[in-house]
Amino acid sequence: MSTEGPATDLAPADAAAGQLLTARGLRAAYGPTVAVDDVALTVGTGEVLGIAGESGCGKSTLAAVLSLTARPPLTVLGGDLTVDGQHLDLAGRPPRTWRGGVVSLLPQGAMNALSATARVGDMAVDVVRAHRGRVPRSVALDLLADRLDALDLPRRVIGAYPHQLSGGMRQRVVTVLSTLLDPRLLIADEPTSALDVSTQRALVELLRELVGRGLVGGIVFVTHDLPVLRAVADRIAVMYAGRIVETGPTAALVDDPRHPYTAALLSSVLVPEPQVRRRRIGGIRGAPPDLADPPAGCRFRPRCSLATDACTDDPPAVGDPDRYATCWWTRDHPDERLEPSL
Amino acid sequence: MALTADLTAGTAEAEAPARSGLLRYLGRKAAWYLGALLVAVLLNFLLPRLIPGNPVDAIVAGLGRGGVEGSQLHAIHAHYVHEFGLDKPLWQQFLVHLGHLVHGDLGTSFAQSPASVSGLIAQALPWSIALQLPAILIGWLVGNGLGAVAAYRGGWFDRGAFLGSLFTSSMPYYCLAILLLYLLAVAVPVLPPTGGYSFGNSPELSADFVLDALTHYWLPFLSLVLVFVGGQAVGMRSMAVYELGSDYVNYGRGLGLRDRTIVRYIFRNAMLPQVTGLALSIGTLVGGALITEIVFSYPGVGTLLFTAISQNDYPVVAGLTLLIAVAVLVANFCVEIAYGIIDPRIRAASRGER
Repeated sequence: MSTEGPATDLAPADAAAGQLLTARGLRAAYGPTVAVDDVALTVGTGEVLGIAGESGCGKSTLAAVLSLTARPPLTVLGGDLTVDGQHLDLAGRPPRTWRGGVVSLLPQGAMNALSATARVGDMAVDVVRAHRGRVPRSVALDLLADRLDALDLPRRVIGAYPHQLSGGMRQRVVTVLSTLLDPRLLIADEPTSALDVSTQRALVELLRELVGRGLVGGIVFVTHDLPVLRAVADRIAVMYAGRIVETGPTAALVDDPRHPYTAALLSSVLVPEPQVRRRRIGGIRGAPPDLADPPAGCRFRPRCSLATDACTDDPPAVGDPDRYATCWWTRDHPDERLEPSL
Repeated sequence: MALTADLTAGTAEAEAPARSGLLRYLGRKAAWYLGALLVAVLLNFLLPRLIPGNPVDAIVAGLGRGGVEGSQLHAIHAHYVHEFGLDKPLWQQFLVHLGHLVHGDLGTSFAQSPASVSGLIAQALPWSIALQLPAILIGWLVGNGLGAVAAYRGGWFDRGAFLGSLFTSSMPYYCLAILLLYLLAVAVPVLPPTGGYSFGNSPELSADFVLDALTHYWLPFLSLVLVFVGGQAVGMRSMAVYELGSDYVNYGRGLGLRDRTIVRYIFRNAMLPQVTGLALSIGTLVGGALITEIVFSYPGVGTLLFTAISQNDYPVVAGLTLLIAVAVLVANFCVEIAYGIIDPRIRAASRGER
């Protein structure tokens, strides 16, 4: 531990005021492998926070922790959430009604998210009854029909089985089901990864609309797809090896990354836009570390071309809670731009 | 199915085509099964006749050993050939055979002449059904319940139930039957070892007889039901374990669904292969639990078939194989209907929607 302290210390105790979500000290592990290590997050009301990172960095684990759906072999070791003023200590067993009511999950691959033998309407009835007791069937179906109307989706999906819907429609239907009870926070775990670009766009617009109308308070959007994140996220947090290495408003983070890993990640993406067209696709050498035995200090150190001896100590968080990077180089070179070609 | 019957409000207009789709699905299936039945009847008719020799030769040979004169034998042979209709061309014989079948006439037993085959089957069938139908139904319900609960609960209960089920289901029927016979009729003689009723008693509808039949019922019943429970539990458990890890279970949890709602989803999806097992068992039921019935000398179809085969009693064998074929076809047809109701994807596939 350095004297500067890790990023979590930057989240002030009273940050809950004005924030939709304040998460602190999130730790979760698969056996000895700590996949999410002391992560802190805030999401403002009406905000979409993007979580970016490569495979195995702990994004989906973080999504499982936030959506309260962690189950063996994943165990939540600690942390607490404050959502819209309601506090929850993750060390205990989360109450069932939080799931779907306060925080809701929009899963990866809606393909199999719906039971093949249940109609969409039946699922909606079960969701509503799980939270509001024995409401009549028609009330729940009306709620679903109204929501479909409001979002310009066809009512015919109510009586449809999952196999009768296209992939894009199924993902949108799942989105509607996830937000049927107006959850304060929606955890979207790679919802666009199985879709083509035009249905990705439709889904992104749907999510934007849900936030715009206040049907969900805010969204944590987890993806490895940076172009999608640029379109949907207000802020981005970049994860590496179970920790958040940089966070900031989308434009600022993309234009001026302050962590070498963010710069490397951005340089691995094909972006057909003028200001980035001349960039070379760099890629990132090596592979993420084994989380059962992560390197001491900065976890990106073995792959980082800017690494020095100082990097064997835990890196400081440079910046303020809304825009920081945990990097020794950034602290020592506050005004120097990171070369994206790592 | 409550879920399918319980149609959603917003789709009343979409239901009419679905209804007629189901009818068309059933119609097409029925046509296929009628075709299969015809083929089965044809084979059942042809196969015995393709074997060299015919029943008349067998009868006449028997008479010849009895010292009957050669010319008489010829007359008797010709008489029987005419009697059995074997002098007509094959296609005419088949039509006659069909005609008899339509009237429920399966012919006369050779070994137990002049008893009619249908009479013999009618005597044995109730015993087999009474023995197996409860065994299969109870075994199916208990086995699937056990398997699903074991998968859902996990831990020691799961391990114990799984091991026990694996043990009984992988044990051959006769092993368990003989083991039970030894334990409950020989070592601790609480139950009678053989027969469907006590010697000297005759089938009738009296309290005495029913009570007597019930005490004879337990051993064969237990030996069947234990094996069946084991097999169903093993199958259901692995299906349910597989379903437990699926995306919709995780999503259901993410939406805060109650555990029993999620278990209901799992059940409905895991049930599909189990329904096949149930219907096929009911279909083969009329063939009798061959080995169990032999071990316990139970007066069912299995024993009848066994003695008929050992006595070359072709009409009885043919009648029983036809009965089994029909029963298996009917059971398969029921499976298809049940599938169409339980799994909407199969209905859709048969309509060409996918």
